[in-house]
Amino acid sequence: MESMNHGIGVDIAFLLLATLAVVTAWRVFRTDSMVRASFFLLVSFIAVGVIMILLAAEYLGVAMFFMMAVEMTVMALFMVMFMMNPAGLNPMNMVHQERISIGAGVVSFLVLSAMALLAVFPDRPVSAGLDPVRSLGNEMLGDSMLIFESAGLVLLTTMIGVVVLSSHRGRYGAATEGSLPPGLEPGGDPAGKPEDDEDGGHHHHHH
Amino acid sequence: MNLEELVLPVLMVFFMLAAGAYTVAVLDRVIAGALGTPQAGSVWIAPLARGAWLMTQHANATEAPDWRAWRLAPALYLSLAAIGLAVVPWSGSLVATDLATSVVLWGSVEALATVVIFLHGWSANTLFALIGGYRYVALGLSYILISMFVLIGVALPAESLQFTQVVASQGELWNLIRQPLGLPLFLIVGLGMTFWGPLNLADSADLAGGTAAEISGPPRLVWDVARAAMLVAFSGVATSAFLGGWLGPWLPGPLWVVIKMLAVLLVLLLLGRLLPRLAPERCVTLMWVVLLPLSFIDLVWAGVGALL
Repeated sequence: MESMNHGIGVDIAFLLLATLAVVTAWRVFRTDSMVRASFFLLVSFIAVGVIMILLAAEYLGVAMFFMMAVEMTVMALFMVMFMMNPAGLNPMNMVHQERISIGAGVVSFLVLSAMALLAVFPDRPVSAGLDPVRSLGNEMLGDSMLIFESAGLVLLTTMIGVVVLSSHRGRYGAATEGSLPPGLEPGGDPAGKPEDDEDGGHHHHHH
Repeated sequence: MNLEELVLPVLMVFFMLAAGAYTVAVLDRVIAGALGTPQAGSVWIAPLARGAWLMTQHANATEAPDWRAWRLAPALYLSLAAIGLAVVPWSGSLVATDLATSVVLWGSVEALATVVIFLHGWSANTLFALIGGYRYVALGLSYILISMFVLIGVALPAESLQFTQVVASQGELWNLIRQPLGLPLFLIVGLGMTFWGPLNLADSADLAGGTAAEISGPPRLVWDVARAAMLVAFSGVATSAFLGGWLGPWLPGPLWVVIKMLAVLLVLLLLGRLLPRLAPERCVTLMWVVLLPLSFIDLVWAGVGALL
């Protein structure tokens, strides 16, 4: 390792941030609330973003902060809106399909470890005068602009489409039919909705 | 080397946090007094006395809150204000963090503030705080978008995402005049993100205090200081982005920054005392239907200006 020209502080920071990223990512699956899970994931991403800044990817690291902040907020809120746990503070199990997940986790860990240990990484030091922010901007908004812009537009269309297609199915039935809470017993009358009287005129005052 | 790179910037930011929050408290009391609201005690001593009183008070507890998030949220909001103050340049060389992407870092501060304010309301596990948190998220997304377009506008003539470059690009003409829509929009975002005055919708009286309905004692002190410090950070960023930062005749640069920041704070606090609070539904409409299109116009204006 001849290119170790950074201080010990960078190494210590990397180890602390990597630990934080792994521990919070693990907490995502051990916590019992969707809001907590989202924001543990956000902390993990922020730690990765700081590691990217340590790797001199200044724009990508900082972009990670604001992209993930908005993304995790929206994700937490959409999960609360679309799922059965309105406030997000009630406990719920965050894991399912455990056998497949364990298998997938072990396989991807082995593949990534093998790549880290066995792959031959290119050693092409860039010139000291390179401005990473400017060169990234030229890359994204230069020749590759059409690809990035069309990918972004497709993703946006997909997101809006998914919300439009799924949002009419509410927690208590289709939105077009009006939402009624489920009955206290299966097939029973909606809970908390007293049945109207035949004439419905009890509260009207006739003069 | 460590002294200049680590200790001085940290000291600078801590000084700004304390002095800035105190200035906001004093200025707000002076303005309230001038507008006819009687103020008890001296305007100079009263904020300190309130802070000392809050320190001695008991920190309230609710039934089964998310303790970590609830106690951390005020501290995190204060840290975000500190990050904002760290990117404000005092002169061409005197700046706590002269990151090449400091404009984007400020954008992240705004985005992360949404998370922290939501967590503050959510983690108390009580009704009004939760409504305040959700209300802020609904509004916060539009604040972030408006602020982002306005800030891209000031980065265009500078051809840089660095606040020192943004200031340097205003040597001939301040962005205040070059992009007349920018500063008003940015100040509205500032009032919104600190939920101050007319845009105090997250911690408003109609929600019995909103996200802060259940906090007392030291956490309340940190939350109040953090909001004031965030307002100062906004005035610092507004100064650098639109008012030419340290540029100005006769006086030294840092003094110009202080004068301009005080002027922006004065405008913000006056607006906070003079305007009535908006209804949240109307505020969402105002943001998306009026102010967001205005920020598009500001960006197109800036783009055309940069091309010419």
